[in-house]
Amino acid sequence: MTRDIQGYRLSIEAIAIAVLLLNLSSAHAEYQAPKTLFGHPNLQGIWSNSTITPLERPYYATSATISKHQAESWQQRGNAYIAISEAPIDPNAPAPTTADPEIGYESFWVDRGTDLAIVDGKIRTSLISYPSDGKIPYKTTTETKLSIFLSKIQSGFDHPEQRPPGERCLVGYGSSGGPPMLPVLYNNHIQIVQNKDHVLIHVEMNHDARIIRLNAEHSPLPTWLGDSIGEWQGQTLVVTTKHFNAGQDCRASLSHWFCMSENATITERFTRIAKNEILYQFEVDDEESFTDVWRGEIPLRAAAGPIYEYACHEGNYGMENILSGARQQEGENNHAHY
Amino acid sequence: MRTINLALRWFFASTVVLLHIHSKAHAHHAFAAEFDANSPVKLVGQVIKVEWINPHAWIHIEINDNKSDIGKSRKNNELEASQVWMIEGGTPNTLIRAGINKNTIQPGTEVIVRGFQAKDKRCRPACKANGRDITLMNGEKLFMGSSGTGAPRDGSDPREPKR
Repeated sequence: MTRDIQGYRLSIEAIAIAVLLLNLSSAHAEYQAPKTLFGHPNLQGIWSNSTITPLERPYYATSATISKHQAESWQQRGNAYIAISEAPIDPNAPAPTTADPEIGYESFWVDRGTDLAIVDGKIRTSLISYPSDGKIPYKTTTETKLSIFLSKIQSGFDHPEQRPPGERCLVGYGSSGGPPMLPVLYNNHIQIVQNKDHVLIHVEMNHDARIIRLNAEHSPLPTWLGDSIGEWQGQTLVVTTKHFNAGQDCRASLSHWFCMSENATITERFTRIAKNEILYQFEVDDEESFTDVWRGEIPLRAAAGPIYEYACHEGNYGMENILSGARQQEGENNHAHY
Repeated sequence: MRTINLALRWFFASTVVLLHIHSKAHAHHAFAAEFDANSPVKLVGQVIKVEWINPHAWIHIEINDNKSDIGKSRKNNELEASQVWMIEGGTPNTLIRAGINKNTIQPGTEVIVRGFQAKDKRCRPACKANGRDITLMNGEKLFMGSSGTGAPRDGSDPREPKR
């Protein structure tokens, strides 16, 4: 029975994917991407996935898409908030209160965009397009894993290995390098470089560079960002990634966290649908972590270059400060006991 | 009536989503890992150096003791307490894209920093804090033009929306 249900589920998914591709191909049939020297659709350039559309649909949004009028209201509120953030402060104002210190620094360091994501002409309330509620279909065990992970972030200060990989400059924080590649607070720029047999995706955050081997077999070795292979299906680059380093299991896109197992399979689709836009689609398939697959769609918009340096290790004073701060607090606590 | 309800719903929704993002999202490291939310400081001083580096830029200032409020911050009596504070910012890449570089902030520029001191209060080689609000002496923000989420609000700006 279980196998029958799974087979039924796979059939439904296959139909859904076919319908999605049919819609996509018809919607963008007019545009033909320029070709590289090797005859592949040209995705090369610098792109940004900045958007104020969140990964998961907010509880108060009742539909996957909203009207232009509703979107303007949302964006105007965001712009108003930025204007307030940039407004002068009374120079005689005292030191800040201890309330709400979650954000560490000024808004002018942040660059997460001002627009909601538009896919197929529709303004999206979540980047997740499946399941239809726009939510990650967690298993209970995955929620527990995430709770443990977040708890460790708040208590693991014995040595650098207890800190998350983003803090250690091993991979970009959040899921910026992916896959799936998701927007974060800043450095949402990527550069794509192609040759005959490889596609390189260079993410500004942490300078994560993912080398996708075309028409190749997977390597069994787990790596940061996973092992990516790809093939061209018509106008679309389809990339499959497996064998993740277990240390990269829990990630975030802004305030939305999720954990995957090292056995997850991520399928990404890159389709250039206009001179200045790539449609980026992804599917997360991880039976260990989720009750269903989940999918998302994000427009990658052409951005001005260059990609800037992100020499993370060299300037990572934060790691020293975090550990030395913990040592000082331990000393104070021990002193208080005697 | 339906139109009004929808408008109210979206006004509320857009406010909530922004506050939600502001209150939960964090950057390269969690604020609480490095800084002490119980040690707010207000620092008034002159810029002496800018480190335009990733993952965080650092603005070094020499503070004026009489004008600054270092709150619960302890001065280490065994070592001469440093008057130099290092202020953590975000990635400089965002500012570079806005046409701002490390030479934009000239040494000698007087600034006011409102933030929180690092948990490590030994002040070696300098005291450290985050720069939640960095302004010139007239209260104008040091930089503007961000497309960002905004700093947390604490009521110091009378134009802030009430929650």
